[in-house]
Amino acid sequence: MTNKWIRLMILLGIIVVVSACSSDANSDNDQGNKGEGDKELTIAIDQNFVTLDPQNAGDTVSIFGTRAMYEGLVGFNEHMEIEPVLAEDYQVSDDALTYTFQLRKDVTFHDGEPFNADAVKANYERIIDEDNDLRAKRNLQYVEKLEVINEYEVAFILNQPFSAMLNKFAMVPFISPKALEDDEKDIALHPVGTGPFKFIEWNQGDSLVLEKYNDYWNAANSDAEKVTFKPVPENGSRAAMLKTGEADFIYPVPQQDIKELESNSDVVIEKTPSTIARYVSINTFKEPFNNEKVRKAMNYAVNKDAYIKVVKNGYGNILDSTMSTETQYYTKQEPYEFNLEKAKDLLTEAGYENGFEAEIWGNTSSETLQGMEFIKQQLAEIGIDVTIKSMEEGTLSDEIYTPETPKDAKVQMWYVSWSPSSGDADGATRSLFSSEYFPPNGANTAYYNNSDVNTWIHVANETSNIDEQEEIYANIQSTVYREAPWIFLATDTILSGHRKNLEGVYVLPDGSVSIKNAQFK
Amino acid sequence: MWQYIIKRVLGLIPLVLVVSFVIFMFIHLIPGDPARLIAGKEATYEEVQQIRESLGLEKPLFVQYFDYLKSLLSGDLGYSIQSGAPVSELIGERIMPTLGLTFLSIGWALVVGILLGIISAVFRNKWPDYLGMLTAVSGISLPNFWVGLVLIQLFSVQLGLLPTGGADGWQSYLMPSFALGAGIMAMIARFTRSSLVNTLKQDYIRTGRAKGLGGNAIIFGHALKNSLIPVVTIAGLQFGFLLGGSVVVETVFSFPGLGRLLIDSIQIRDYPVVQAEILLFSLQFILVNLLVDIIYSFLNPKIRYE
Repeated sequence: MTNKWIRLMILLGIIVVVSACSSDANSDNDQGNKGEGDKELTIAIDQNFVTLDPQNAGDTVSIFGTRAMYEGLVGFNEHMEIEPVLAEDYQVSDDALTYTFQLRKDVTFHDGEPFNADAVKANYERIIDEDNDLRAKRNLQYVEKLEVINEYEVAFILNQPFSAMLNKFAMVPFISPKALEDDEKDIALHPVGTGPFKFIEWNQGDSLVLEKYNDYWNAANSDAEKVTFKPVPENGSRAAMLKTGEADFIYPVPQQDIKELESNSDVVIEKTPSTIARYVSINTFKEPFNNEKVRKAMNYAVNKDAYIKVVKNGYGNILDSTMSTETQYYTKQEPYEFNLEKAKDLLTEAGYENGFEAEIWGNTSSETLQGMEFIKQQLAEIGIDVTIKSMEEGTLSDEIYTPETPKDAKVQMWYVSWSPSSGDADGATRSLFSSEYFPPNGANTAYYNNSDVNTWIHVANETSNIDEQEEIYANIQSTVYREAPWIFLATDTILSGHRKNLEGVYVLPDGSVSIKNAQFK
Repeated sequence: MWQYIIKRVLGLIPLVLVVSFVIFMFIHLIPGDPARLIAGKEATYEEVQQIRESLGLEKPLFVQYFDYLKSLLSGDLGYSIQSGAPVSELIGERIMPTLGLTFLSIGWALVVGILLGIISAVFRNKWPDYLGMLTAVSGISLPNFWVGLVLIQLFSVQLGLLPTGGADGWQSYLMPSFALGAGIMAMIARFTRSSLVNTLKQDYIRTGRAKGLGGNAIIFGHALKNSLIPVVTIAGLQFGFLLGGSVVVETVFSFPGLGRLLIDSIQIRDYPVVQAEILLFSLQFILVNLLVDIIYSFLNPKIRYE
């Protein structure tokens, strides 16, 4: 009797688990709290918003959250190219020192205030005020003054030319001057902008709710009435929300769920190339990494195709320059092909035929751990014995950025990624490869120092000639790639998913979600 | 008794001071610079320094502690250094969902756990006992994030009955409370069973039976109450843990509770939020302990406090 019961219970248990795990991909059960035909857009993302102050947002999620409510004089299109937004038109002077903008005359803030030159001025003054410590100040660091020409025309005068200036203007959104006057501290919690959606509520860690701004100057582009952003950090839960229809759009889509979601007829998966470059920075200040042959050997020893297959589940492209294909002025270089013989020869030439011991650092995410494991295995093939040191993000950041001089730096290799915040070549170059930007002053954690490159970075900024800029950045890329201060690995592919009845919501190459053209079919 | 309670509550004051000091020092001494994390990877040294100054992080640690203590004593928990929101508001938003989830989880775990324990003890080594303990072992051994994902797959994706996450409406509490309570229910069932089995062997139970008392009267009238002391201990402990929020279950169900707030705040070194939350957890634990002690004395009048 007893045994029979136990067997029965085990059988029941198995049935429950199997039915739970079996995937009926095509089952159509939109129990999400809404039916077809409503215009409520729910977007599930993997992180929380940190702040809603658009001039102080630094993380991608806060930046795109605020972009739904705020706009700048110019903005980015789907391919991260600059397009006019609150400015109808703009001109750059020949000496690249004056940027003149003609403002749109039909724009109002969500509180009814008009958008005009005074609004631009009030925002400019807020940003440059040292006491406010705003991130946007960095975008205007070369601006010497703002001139109000008339109610709908302003000019920014720079103290030196800056090649990425337009991209930086795209990162400066405008807040209602009345809201700034009323309660500036409150801006981070109660946004008032000119964007297509206006703020309703923000329950931190749970949801950000917006509604359509009926007086929006470009209202025809979207028919979504209400938008809810939901931070859902767990991959499986986010994917489940897309399946059930609780979310209309999710980003990122977990790599392991792609196949299953692609077989679901209610769901569309989008794959977008990104500006995110993955690499291992090598401390060129330290032996044996100060030897270019050693660094090249390390590049030849890593099979990038296998890396993309194993670590990125096949979603990525080989990083064949110092920046991604989606970054301004990208120029393709001849990649270091996987060649163990060549790698061993180079190590022998450098005097390390028996290899050496090295340490690689990275954060604690499982993908980073997997990536470091992969590098360790690959470098072991040429006799480099790598120890993995994985650290919590805050600790790691301390270890990397606090050393006062290159000599104090303990880092040898760092498994990391970089994405220029405004998609520009300067953002993907200066703080990574200029010797003025060694930690703690910047992110040149390879301690890469090449006087030509240092000069070129300055010259590129100072010229207003686009062809010249392009040529200089091509030189920088080929020089740096050849000298191999990194192990160049891959660029990420952005994976997002949406319900079939939704169009116009997309992820830009920098990982920000744009909802301004959201349309329901 | 009342004197005892008042004494215990007054004893909280020095304890809170010590705890606040320890928390403050720990969080400030762990590596990771909030100014650097706020400034971002492209920041220059000057920018980081400027943020550090505006946050008051340049002052000596003891000065910072006394500033913190001063505002704490005046009831001000400060502002999040990331979002600028008042810490009391951030915690206030999360505390209700966490309390709701905690009571629901511990509630069903207690009822089902004690019932299973009683059934197992009464039918010791018979099939209801095996069934009960099989349930208990499953509850303990299945990791709660896995239980959570299976529940989402079954009830949200397949059957379409419950939302996958959030804290909107009672439906969204069902799956997380099941996932959280399963392990606790199992523990309570096992403790109830073994404690009740022991009690049932006692002489006074035999005397009761000899006097002709029925099964129910013996179990519910005499044995159960005396078996509950270990159960109360374990339930109290678990209750304290749950009040701190469960990072894993909150993450699986995107539940806006205190656990995730803590982890998110630690990652960005949001000192005021972390300090306030840990202080709150310590207070909760101390209060739960006090409550457990009081319940002891009701269950066993021999336990007296001076």
